[in-house]
Amino acid sequence: MNRWEHWRHRIRAMFWIRRRSFRLVMGIITVIASGLIGLSVFARQADQVSILMPAPFADSTAELVRTFNREHQGRIHLNVIRGPLETEAISDLAISSLLLGDTPFDALLMDVTWIPKYAKAGWLEPLDSYFDDDELNALATGASEGNHYEGSLLRWPLVADIGLLYWRTDLMNQPPRTPEELESISRKLQNSGKIPYGYVWQGRQYEGLSCVYLEMIDGFGGEWLSQQTGRVGLDEAPGIAAARWLDELIERGISPRAVTNFAEPEALQSFKSGQAAFMRNWPYAWAELQKNDSAVRNRVGITTMVAKKGEKPSSTLGSWGLSLLKGSARPESTVEAFKFLTSEESQRYLYTNFGYTPTRKAIFNDQTLLNEHPSLASIGTALSFARARPETPLYAQMSDVLQRKLSSTLTGMTSPRDGMEQAERSTNQVLDAAGGIS
Amino acid sequence: MLILLIPSLLFLIAVFALPLIRYVWLSFHADSVMTGLMAIPNQGANWQRFIHDSRYWQDLLQTLRFALVSVTAEVVLGLAIALILNQPLRKRALIRSSSLIPWALPTTVMALGWRWIFNTPYGPVDRLAQAALGRSLNALGEPSLAWMTTVYADVWKTTPFVALILLAGLQTIPADLYEAAKLEGAGPWVCLRRITIPLLLPYIGLALMFRLAQAFGVFDLVQVMTGGGPASSTESIALYAYWNALRFLDFGYSATIMIASFVILSSLIAIAWLVISTARSRSAGAIAR
Repeated sequence: MNRWEHWRHRIRAMFWIRRRSFRLVMGIITVIASGLIGLSVFARQADQVSILMPAPFADSTAELVRTFNREHQGRIHLNVIRGPLETEAISDLAISSLLLGDTPFDALLMDVTWIPKYAKAGWLEPLDSYFDDDELNALATGASEGNHYEGSLLRWPLVADIGLLYWRTDLMNQPPRTPEELESISRKLQNSGKIPYGYVWQGRQYEGLSCVYLEMIDGFGGEWLSQQTGRVGLDEAPGIAAARWLDELIERGISPRAVTNFAEPEALQSFKSGQAAFMRNWPYAWAELQKNDSAVRNRVGITTMVAKKGEKPSSTLGSWGLSLLKGSARPESTVEAFKFLTSEESQRYLYTNFGYTPTRKAIFNDQTLLNEHPSLASIGTALSFARARPETPLYAQMSDVLQRKLSSTLTGMTSPRDGMEQAERSTNQVLDAAGGIS
Repeated sequence: MLILLIPSLLFLIAVFALPLIRYVWLSFHADSVMTGLMAIPNQGANWQRFIHDSRYWQDLLQTLRFALVSVTAEVVLGLAIALILNQPLRKRALIRSSSLIPWALPTTVMALGWRWIFNTPYGPVDRLAQAALGRSLNALGEPSLAWMTTVYADVWKTTPFVALILLAGLQTIPADLYEAAKLEGAGPWVCLRRITIPLLLPYIGLALMFRLAQAFGVFDLVQVMTGGGPASSTESIALYAYWNALRFLDFGYSATIMIASFVILSSLIAIAWLVISTARSRSAGAIAR
């Protein structure tokens, strides 16, 4: 018994010593390790570059970013911040942080319509000194638009995006070229019971509706806002005709009544399940339509939007590009990241893996790629008809006014003429009010 | 004694008064993307524009319609639910807590859920309509229906909140009042009208206050479900002010909208309070008689 007590005491004493020395050793290790880590961080001095992107873009560029960081190890560390999914939500997030002054991002992936607004607010750093003429000339027609404002280059395009007309190759031999043809083909197919609806598009009150309308007003020979004269053309004959045509598509049952609440996913869903002969959508839909769950797989073609006889078809330009934010501490490294993400190789990767429309001429001329992906040629053609939305810092208001009145028209609250006349008046009010200030 | 109030007074000034004063100041300035985000005095131009802004007045009417219809429905349904929950039921704790689930859900999540439920043509509501009426309901695409879906979603979500407040009120009513009334031969309807509702009035008033203020500022529900459409039929004041600030970068005008709405809402709450308190004193008088 006594002996047992004695041993217990000794073990305890030993452990106490052990514990104390253990702590000591750990303490020393911690000090040394943190010193080493601190030293290595100091020695490496890698430039931290952060870019805010909408979630889908952050996901699809993740592999490229990893490659970039491997190649630039110790020099630049690129960090892509995965923002919200929706276009407007990402703008709201970026604007809230820019308003607070010190932005936590070096760069932002920007939608084409934001450039004038951000530029006017003084948030963007010009990129002219970083890109030479050769690089500018390498951009495909269409992709080179919407990157400048008031003479300076403010955005470098990552993805070109354009409105396309998707059509069913199993239901017709040739896609329609005019609004009348689209209607007559639809009606014939609907009457024969081959398909419930003719044409699905984006009729919800949001930005997509403005894109749909822009293509139609151009296709009817009009112009939303003339860049030369500054004249708003909504209440002119083509403007009213475009609104009337969209309204009549619903009235005549060629488009389902529900298009008044359709955004891109709803239109895609409808077309993908074989409910419609035509769809207006962006290039991303192509990859979706070729998936296994698609009822129209291998039975889809793409072309440019219909236009009146004698008028050029028009595709709304909806591209995304990288902009350098004012106040970035590492502009050179940030632009280096831009150049990597938009290189020919990166573009080929993004096109083949995610269907992102390239922005460089060279890719549209790449014969092996064209053989593998015949749709690339149609996208290239549509890109040459790309039309930018009005380039003004007041675009958000202009589009908002138009969406409201178009939505009223499509839901039968106003006639196309009244709706467009009201939209014209409100747009002029918006432009005049701002003009009086500046 | 007054000196002891100073800390809380300072806090109130910092949190409420200063932002309000700043907004009033801002509403007399042009501060937008066109001025390079600098505040430039503009001699009341914002207020002139505001008075003639038919869109604001339409939004105001829509917001009021949304607030009044949804809050009325919530109080009526909330009272019914509170009366049920106040009964000696088996597993009462479980029933009470599970009835709170809608209220505990984040608004954006449940709004997204409702958006899919009302989706045309794939949502279950539309499927039911197709089966029953033979045509699509198009609930979110039809201006006359879309606002009702937002009311419906709001009622679904916040009725439990009203029920909770009213349940707390019900538990303060002494049981002997009912016993006495029963002895005098009063039926359940008389008990409800003569005892429950008059004694519950302060709680109903409280629920009304909370709900009116919240419903008047409805934002996330509408933003997610309809984005203000179709034809702006579901656009609320808060949504309009938000767009002016963050989408259009017009802070001067956004401040004008906020200040005007603040005044309108405060007077509404004051009116509601007056109505409730007169009703209370009248019913108190009736009981005394």
